[in-house]
Amino acid sequence: MQGFLFAQLKIGDQALPISLPSNEGGMISLDHFSGKWVLVDFWASWCGPCRKSNRAIKPVYEKYKSKGFEILGVSVDDVKNDWLNAIKKDAITWKQVIDPGGWESPIAIRWGVEQLPTSYLLDEKGKVIAVDPSVEQIEKLLKKKKN
Amino acid sequence: MLLIGFYSQAQFKSATLQASGLTCSLCSKSILKSIEKIPFVQSVKADIQTSGFEIDFQENQVVDFDQIKKAVEDAGFSVARLDVQAIMNETAIQPDAHIEMGGVVLHFMNVKKQQLQGATKLRIIDKNFLPTKEHKKMSQYTKMTCFQTGVMESCCTTTASNSNNSKRVYHVTL
Repeated sequence: MQGFLFAQLKIGDQALPISLPSNEGGMISLDHFSGKWVLVDFWASWCGPCRKSNRAIKPVYEKYKSKGFEILGVSVDDVKNDWLNAIKKDAITWKQVIDPGGWESPIAIRWGVEQLPTSYLLDEKGKVIAVDPSVEQIEKLLKKKKN
Repeated sequence: MLLIGFYSQAQFKSATLQASGLTCSLCSKSILKSIEKIPFVQSVKADIQTSGFEIDFQENQVVDFDQIKKAVEDAGFSVARLDVQAIMNETAIQPDAHIEMGGVVLHFMNVKKQQLQGATKLRIIDKNFLPTKEHKKMSQYTKMTCFQTGVMESCCTTTASNSNNSKRVYHVTL
């Protein structure tokens, strides 16, 4: 039907580099998380389902953050303040970066993001082990990981 | 001659679309991609403030609203509301009557007899351009069956030129 320049990542693919400004100032790269499992979560403040999932993932993050699990939220918000307000309102404690532009956001294009939320669970080597996993699936995988 | 000049001056500039579905219509690229493919569409943008889509039409092109509806449906959503921005040029309208403008037959409903001038917002009230309940509610403003079928019927009284049965007629209100 339509050819995409950047196909969406699949399970087994290596994650693409990310290096973007964070909500706490400075830059964060995906490399910072190597050796840990990381959920790369594409979202925007205006995306209702994303906000819901922010709240749903929180208990899992709190439970597993000391056990080698991180989340990197990647916002495609155009308005920086909308993003910062959403982080505050949803009481997000995990790392957050932004690449404005909505669907035209360079990071969204490179990762082939076509809907929000879109998330990728990466293993300690940055390999995709799940695409759009549910909170339950993430928890199941994390439980398995411990053993 | 006068009529030809008159019709070519009236045209459709843009539209605002609200789509509905089981998921958030703004959270997927599918509607944007589907509408972008329509030949008479110049550009389409998502509007976060209104949770809708802003569609600009190409100039001097006949606009076919059914193609917009189809694009939305192909993307897995339905049209909840379509407001069209039209440029009127001393266009006389009256309740429950047809006119032709920009190559499209319009049937005005629930309006006062008046003359429209300049940028005017028209809401399409045909089936599948708004929720079924609202379509039913609008039925009180006409007895003509074209409101149900969407095409010209023998019963249709019209001031539009070269009217013929089975021609698409769009029902609109202000």
